[in-house]
Amino acid sequence: MPSATLLGQALISGVLAGGLYGLLAMGLSLSWGLLRLVNLSHFALAFLAAYLVYELGTSYHVAPWWSAAMIVPAMFGIGVAQHWLFDKFRVNELASLLITFSFAVILEVGIQLYWTADFRRYETEYSTKSIKAGAFFIPVLDLTLCIVAGLLAWGTWLWLRRTYVGKALRAAAEDPGIAAAYGVDHKRLAYLLSGIGAGYAGIAGTFIALIATLAPAEIWAYLGVVFAVVIIGRLGNPLGALLAGLLIGASESLAMAVLAPAWAPVVSFSVLIVILLWDPEWL
Amino acid sequence: MVEGKGAWRRRRVLAGMMGGAAALATPAIGRAAPSGKPVRVGGTLSLTGFLAQTAVIHKISAEIMVEEINGRNGFLGRPVEYVLLDDQSKPEVARSLYEKLITVDKVDLIQGPYATAPILAAMGVAQRYGKVMIQSSMGIPKLQTYDRAFPATPFGSEPNVTYPNVILDCLATFPTPPRTMAILTSKFPSAQFMALGMKEQAEKRGVKVPLYLEYESGNRDFGAMAARVKEGNADFLWVGSLGLESNLLLEALRKLDYRPKNHFHLYPAPGPLAVSPDGDKALCSTFLEPDEPFMSRPGMKRLAAEFKEKATKANLPYTTIDAQACGMAAEWQILEAAVNGAGSLDDAKIAAWLKKNKVTTVYGPTRFDGPYNHGDAAQLIKQVQNKEWKVVWPKEFAAPGVKLIAS
Amino acid sequence: MAELLAVSGLSAGYGRAVVLSDVAFRLGEGEALAVLGRNGVGKTTLIDSLIGVTRRFAGSLTLGGREITALSPEARAAAGIGWVPQERNIFGSLTVQENITAVARPGRWTLDRIYGLFPRLRQRRNQSGGSLSGGEQQMLAIGRALALNPRLLLLDEPTEGLAPIVIEELLRALRRLFVEDRMAGIVVEQHAHKVLPITDRAIVLDRGRIVLEASSGSLLADPAPLERHLGVTGG
Repeated sequence: MPSATLLGQALISGVLAGGLYGLLAMGLSLSWGLLRLVNLSHFALAFLAAYLVYELGTSYHVAPWWSAAMIVPAMFGIGVAQHWLFDKFRVNELASLLITFSFAVILEVGIQLYWTADFRRYETEYSTKSIKAGAFFIPVLDLTLCIVAGLLAWGTWLWLRRTYVGKALRAAAEDPGIAAAYGVDHKRLAYLLSGIGAGYAGIAGTFIALIATLAPAEIWAYLGVVFAVVIIGRLGNPLGALLAGLLIGASESLAMAVLAPAWAPVVSFSVLIVILLWDPEWL
Repeated sequence: MVEGKGAWRRRRVLAGMMGGAAALATPAIGRAAPSGKPVRVGGTLSLTGFLAQTAVIHKISAEIMVEEINGRNGFLGRPVEYVLLDDQSKPEVARSLYEKLITVDKVDLIQGPYATAPILAAMGVAQRYGKVMIQSSMGIPKLQTYDRAFPATPFGSEPNVTYPNVILDCLATFPTPPRTMAILTSKFPSAQFMALGMKEQAEKRGVKVPLYLEYESGNRDFGAMAARVKEGNADFLWVGSLGLESNLLLEALRKLDYRPKNHFHLYPAPGPLAVSPDGDKALCSTFLEPDEPFMSRPGMKRLAAEFKEKATKANLPYTTIDAQACGMAAEWQILEAAVNGAGSLDDAKIAAWLKKNKVTTVYGPTRFDGPYNHGDAAQLIKQVQNKEWKVVWPKEFAAPGVKLIAS
Repeated sequence: MAELLAVSGLSAGYGRAVVLSDVAFRLGEGEALAVLGRNGVGKTTLIDSLIGVTRRFAGSLTLGGREITALSPEARAAAGIGWVPQERNIFGSLTVQENITAVARPGRWTLDRIYGLFPRLRQRRNQSGGSLSGGEQQMLAIGRALALNPRLLLLDEPTEGLAPIVIEELLRALRRLFVEDRMAGIVVEQHAHKVLPITDRAIVLDRGRIVLEASSGSLLADPAPLERHLGVTGG
């Protein structure tokens, strides 16, 4: 039986790793749930942002948060532009899957042309910093990610619940025709939301640059687990997406600590299936 | 691999034709430049997909070698043209592309792809058409069952037995030889194969293995594994890693304020591990490094210089040639020697010549008359010292003035 | 009485089908109009044409003197048309209160005032729209339309499928709206006796045309013309 220290440490690192799943899932969940667009290019945008953070950091010595301050608004713009295309060609849920997949592939090829297929690693002074808490170590970067993800999720959740725009978006997601007849201009709101989703990809990308390995094919590495997270967290629910991310991260990590590391990839889908079958009321 | 990767990959074929123009650019001193109809050599590399990181260095090596061969006498006096296609890191794509190269493009010869799975797929096709196939990166020799398939890399026929013993011999020279060993390995077949061998040989020689863990390739979070390694606190850490997995594991360990006492890494991306602060004193498998005595081997100096130039031009972050890149160079050295030695483009004659002769490549004298067409094993151990890889074991291959450092 | 809505020469339908032909009527500020007729005569098409989701073949619409013929549904909503759809179409995933506030525009119909009209909605304000009973959903649909602070309220068969006791409650609320508050409205109904007492005027549609126009009071007093067109005076 593994020791309490091991279990606790695995739980901490898993929950914190799950923050990234949640952060990635948030943008995807918003556009899927509220715009009925499954945006596969979300992952590619996140990696584009990550590569930009890497490039700015290694070639021009720009601190990652300054990079993020430039990249996130640019990503917002890309999200808006992307939605202009969806709108112009009246893209539906299924078509969005194919079109955004092509976007992602084009971005992947572009990234590979510029940065090559070789692994890139952005080494920073923060990458291995930890806070010691009793017998446990809490990695600073992962903790920051979780706090940022938590604030974003909470803020977005409040925005959707409390503001006119948020409620209008949810109403339009449920029945665009009826919402329009009540004066909801969901087209304009959709641009806003699409921009926000892409902006979240920018934020996720910043942390990916600091935490993970960059390689063009890694764009697809998060696809499966993040899809599971989006569905467990319920479409269009940012807080749900984050909590599901933490849940999956923690489960994967505990599976690696208690069972065998090779079990990790099975965990997310097992949790998904259990939750779909069980359908607990608190979800 | 990670879910979705396979299904989502698109079909994209990049045809690279090199050599023709390059042949003109290379002065052929004192020799007639090859002329006539080019000899076309077909092959695939994983230019896209999850193996793309290493394919690009193979491609550069191949370019250099084709230029060099055309600067000499080509194949039988004819220029060589490398018809390169992208197998997208997928065995099934490799299989159909080799089929296409042989039956549609009607290439004269073939050259093997990169990594075990595409190699096995291509080998099946090669066998059906009786083509000689030389490959440099199949880490499990016993899988090479086709009698016209030849290894360019000196793995030996049982690297899972021979190489762990090289490592154990090396460890035995430490001031305090490790008595316990933690083994972590990717489930990537060639890594897992070596990890199992390491465990068996270590236990045979009295080194305990209290922790043996396998993880899926594409694993994202090393936190939990790091916690287990820290808890086990073995004298030696052996990691069957690929790509940047070692970097991620070492970082995860440092986040837990733990540094492994001595650690070995199987197939890591060499650049990032060498420059990482966590990589200092890391041990790793190799066949050669751009130092003496290897630089004195045929073609090695020029290869290293040109590799640096082309890798810089291709915007690669790590431009120093390594054992991987040399594998592709050795493939071409072997093919050149065999074609010109057999005096024929006939696959049967080329295969027969190889089985009877030794070829001296950048890896040294290589023979093909052992089990699975393998010759002697020549695995070495290198270590990161001052952010550079240096061969440290066996001693006779250590760079001048370099010593193994045990911590 | 100032003119609020003018419909002239309206022909409209869906796709290539013309449902309404040459429909024309006017509605004054503070006036309530009943639209009567059997099933399938074009009553809902008339409402749909007013909110702007049908295909218009001819004719024009003005609201408060402003041409709205070419406006999109959301622009018509902004111009002051509030709609209570036949299917109610509550946003099931939003709470009762969110259903109202998601579309609310400033004006005299505040959340409090809406809850005052339908106290049951106040009790249910944190429940999801989807969990309400049919009658409550109807109240919510009306409350949601009022939250827009419309100049004109359109109700499409508001009593359909509801229990008699709920219908009573609903009609009392509508009476307060139309009779006491002088809200301008159009109520589509199959059953004339339910709606005539709370409206000022009535039109009867048959096969897409207006076949009768009269004051509600006169029709209540003498239902004979209605019987001619509807066959029944309503169940």
